[in-house]
Amino acid sequence: MKDETFRPNRVLSYFQEEWKILFFVTVSGLIYNLGLLAGPWFEGKMTGKLVDLLGGTGTFHQMLMLVTAYVVSIGIVQVSRYFKRFYVRRFANNVNRHMKQILYGTLVRKSRLELEAEGTGNVLTKAILDVDDCVEGMRKFTTEIFDTGVALLAYACMLLWYDWKLALLCMIFPPVSYVIAEKMKVIVQKTGAAYKVQSGALSAATLDRAANAITYRVFGCEEDRKAAYEKNLSAYENAAVRANIWNTAMPPIYRIISMASILFILYFGGRNVLHEGWTPWTIAVFTTFLSCYTKLATKSSSAAKLFNAVHKAQVSWKRIKPLLQNSEAEPELPAAAPAKLSVDHLHFAYPNGKEIIHDLSFEAAPGQIIGVTGPVACGKSTLGKTFLCESPYEGSITFGGKELGKMEKTDRNCIIGYLGHDPELFHGSVEDNIRLGGKQGAEEIIRIVCFEEETKAMEDGIHTLVGTSGVRLSGGQAQRLALARTLYHKRPVLVLDDPFSALDKKTEAQIFANVKELARDSIVILISHRLYLFDQMDQVIWMDEGHTKVGTHEELLAEVPSYAELCRDQTKGGSNDEK
Amino acid sequence: MKNKESVLQVIKETVRKHGVLSAGLFAAVCGAVIFALLPPLILAQLIDRLTKNHTLWTGGILLYFGLLALTGFLESARESLLTVFGQRITHALRSSLMEKFGRLSANELNRQEPGALVSRFVGDVDTVENLFTSGIISMFADACKILSILVAIWVTNRGLTIVLIVLLPVLFLFTRYVQKNMLASQIANRRAVSRASGHVPETLHNIRTIHCLQKETYMEQQYARYIDDSYSAMEKTNFYDAVYSPVILILNAIVVAVVMLLSASENPTVLKLFGMSAGTAVAVINYISQIFTPVESLGMEIQTIQSAFAGMERINEFYSLKEKKGPAALTANTDYGMAAELKNVTFGYDESQVILNDVSLQIKKGERVTLSGRTGAGKSTIFKLLLGLYEPQKGKVLIWGVPSVDLTDAKKRKVFGYVEQSFHMVPGSVKDQITLYDSKISNADVKRAAELTGLAKTIEALPYQYDTICTQDLFSQGQWQLLSIARAAAAEPEILLLDEITANLDAETEKMVLNALQRVSKNRTVISISHRTMAETGRVIPIS
Repeated sequence: MKDETFRPNRVLSYFQEEWKILFFVTVSGLIYNLGLLAGPWFEGKMTGKLVDLLGGTGTFHQMLMLVTAYVVSIGIVQVSRYFKRFYVRRFANNVNRHMKQILYGTLVRKSRLELEAEGTGNVLTKAILDVDDCVEGMRKFTTEIFDTGVALLAYACMLLWYDWKLALLCMIFPPVSYVIAEKMKVIVQKTGAAYKVQSGALSAATLDRAANAITYRVFGCEEDRKAAYEKNLSAYENAAVRANIWNTAMPPIYRIISMASILFILYFGGRNVLHEGWTPWTIAVFTTFLSCYTKLATKSSSAAKLFNAVHKAQVSWKRIKPLLQNSEAEPELPAAAPAKLSVDHLHFAYPNGKEIIHDLSFEAAPGQIIGVTGPVACGKSTLGKTFLCESPYEGSITFGGKELGKMEKTDRNCIIGYLGHDPELFHGSVEDNIRLGGKQGAEEIIRIVCFEEETKAMEDGIHTLVGTSGVRLSGGQAQRLALARTLYHKRPVLVLDDPFSALDKKTEAQIFANVKELARDSIVILISHRLYLFDQMDQVIWMDEGHTKVGTHEELLAEVPSYAELCRDQTKGGSNDEK
Repeated sequence: MKNKESVLQVIKETVRKHGVLSAGLFAAVCGAVIFALLPPLILAQLIDRLTKNHTLWTGGILLYFGLLALTGFLESARESLLTVFGQRITHALRSSLMEKFGRLSANELNRQEPGALVSRFVGDVDTVENLFTSGIISMFADACKILSILVAIWVTNRGLTIVLIVLLPVLFLFTRYVQKNMLASQIANRRAVSRASGHVPETLHNIRTIHCLQKETYMEQQYARYIDDSYSAMEKTNFYDAVYSPVILILNAIVVAVVMLLSASENPTVLKLFGMSAGTAVAVINYISQIFTPVESLGMEIQTIQSAFAGMERINEFYSLKEKKGPAALTANTDYGMAAELKNVTFGYDESQVILNDVSLQIKKGERVTLSGRTGAGKSTIFKLLLGLYEPQKGKVLIWGVPSVDLTDAKKRKVFGYVEQSFHMVPGSVKDQITLYDSKISNADVKRAAELTGLAKTIEALPYQYDTICTQDLFSQGQWQLLSIARAAAAEPEILLLDEITANLDAETEKMVLNALQRVSKNRTVISISHRTMAETGRVIPIS
């Protein structure tokens, strides 16, 4: 459905795209607003007919015809009103969705660094919120064009047609009330802004009082704080009264001003009926004119709304416009074939940071499991992330002879599977979190990560929702779920950063055995601070303050005293660790 | 002290305190209702004069407009007074809530979740305000309006009154039906919308996984699905919103049509009920269109009142929380040789679990002691007892010979300096962190406290020195801890309580903190807690 000429950074494009709905809105809007004239017209006619009847010149049958026509026309008008309202909102919904999707598409394809730098992530998040304001403005604009523009014009024409002099005389007052309202807006905005400030201050004061309650109590400051809070409350009260009073007190006043024209209508209109005025009128015309003017006065007060809505929409549109760009959807590619991984004289430092990896070299063949360990903050997690090439490294990492850092992002993603500390789960079911849209079933993987029993016990089994970022799961459950997801999307190189830290020893061993079986043709790089599985590793990398040592478990035991000590400590105290 | 507080109590008191305001509000509400009735009656007279070919009498025209204007002014006055009145009530409620908060027992205080408390103080109180500004009072006004219009119509056209009395309940039920459904779909919509907007931060958070697994398109589809959910919920709201007014207006037209038709009837009994002049007809059409608006508002007001009741209930729950015992305001005698004493103290946070069992200890004036023992032995609990946050179940906790719970706030400030495990930043400047807004602590005191802890240089290098507004990243963790010591020392307290203050620090910062403490501790009684033997100073009291 994507059409070639659609340009996301042009407002008109959105209107064009929804032309069918808008056409419908236009037709029903015109019928409704022009039809509004029918009400006053018929009311006048009916009153006139009543006068005739009382005077003995009309018949019941004529009245019946009139009344039926009245009800039918009001019916048509109101039904078109329904269609207009409904479809204007549908139009707004469609545009809203479209804009948000475009923005989201841009956001989800930005790299992590781009999102973190300059708060691009925040900017896009705010832009998505701005869409609501912008579309609301577009909707109001579309609505008000008919409800205010067309309706006002129709009423004005009708009044002019009946008696143009009187009509012009009457139309002096609505603009007066409009000008006053416009002048008042400055005050309304100023007091409104002051109110917002105070309401923020009040929330902050309440939060502070609640969060630091014990501190204040212990230091004997509670009375002081209460007095200060009272001051906040008074300031808030004043600001709130000032801001709200203009909003609530003024509309009746504006109405009075607009209604001042009634004086002219009654006086000159009355003369018209008595054939002493500018145009000879019947009593029917008199009542029509009166009720028509009342409606015009009410409508004209909402003319201001039209301008406000457009203005607000413009402000938000300006903010989101530069961010609206089409982004290309790329297909999911299958995992790459197994091959050899070789790391040669690797150095790594964050921009402006000290060196974290110093001269690391090793090779791994498919099926091998490589353990990485070292003391706290030795850079083992950084080593894991280096494979993601988020920041440039020195030296070389090749897979199947190709340099990782020089590949396209999509190609690299077919090679490296990565699981960090943070499980990065999504709102959705257990199963959804593993498959993320994949076709294969998830049951097998759930068994592999020893999560089967627990999911069965959940209220909806594998369809149980895990909550935002997996809040409803325990740490160990979240960890296994994230591991399952990584294994489901198997890659020839799997980097697993401390995937078992929240699990007990027995489960850890079981999962490790399963993973080994599953990843027969993959290279697994397992980063961990727990070492009792390290005797099963094909190679071990020891890291300490940037320096690295590569070897088998036995070699490192012999050559690196700190490694040997760490191993000994853990196997000795291991029994306490069991849950 | 008021013994039984509730929202109703506070409201009653506010009404009593602002008698003139309340009376004025009542007058404006009633006046607006009554005067709104008159203009159509005058208009009817005017039109009837016209049909009889009489010239319109200028006084009548002016009277008609005058009444319209008066109604407008009264409405304006009603709305203004209502705004003021609503704010008075929210002010009184928040004051009394804060009063209550200050009296909560330490147990309840700890149990209050700050975010939830803010929503109680801000959100729930606002719903009570709505109860007045757009609930009860406007409901009263609307009910009066409906009644008075019915009375006015009864005078002019009896038949119509009967038609309306039959019709209005049906109309009201329809209104409620639509509003209830709308509310339900609005709630569904809000849930869907929050899901959709939650998807964005989740995406940002999980972006690494998304890229790694090439799930960009999947995530996009997921987002579209969430938006669609909110979209279909919204479509339902739109339907009800779009369908209501047309139905009401068609109904309005039908009623007008029926009345017109019947008044044109040739049957004398019908005419007796429905017969009217042209002027009356205009007035009746006017009234009919007036009577439908309050019915719609009535439904909305019921909704407002319902949600306000839920808010009131939550506030009343807060009022019923347990309070601490008020201090007996005994004067501590600092010449008394024993700074702090526990005499056969037994204590637990609840009845069933005893943490301290018959503990006794004495700390002399000017002495330095460390309470030591494993986690959970009750060291921090002893601190809380000394600080007067809790009362012992059995035995006595004395500060300078006086029960710790009986020290008033002003006394506490002079007696205790408490260095917490982690610093609690208060909103404001660096100076505010040290003084806790206490105006009795002079700038010189602040400076001295900063110098004592070795922070003075760091602070003076800040852009506005002591007046720099604090943010979380203004200081390092160790510096915050030093600031915490400055805070404890600023009021020149007699007893310093140090709660495991070097637990999260590296060796170098720890040394700085301990040096600062050394300086601050001079001429003071110092009681500290430590898990680690190396941080022990002075006499060690084992707690087990």
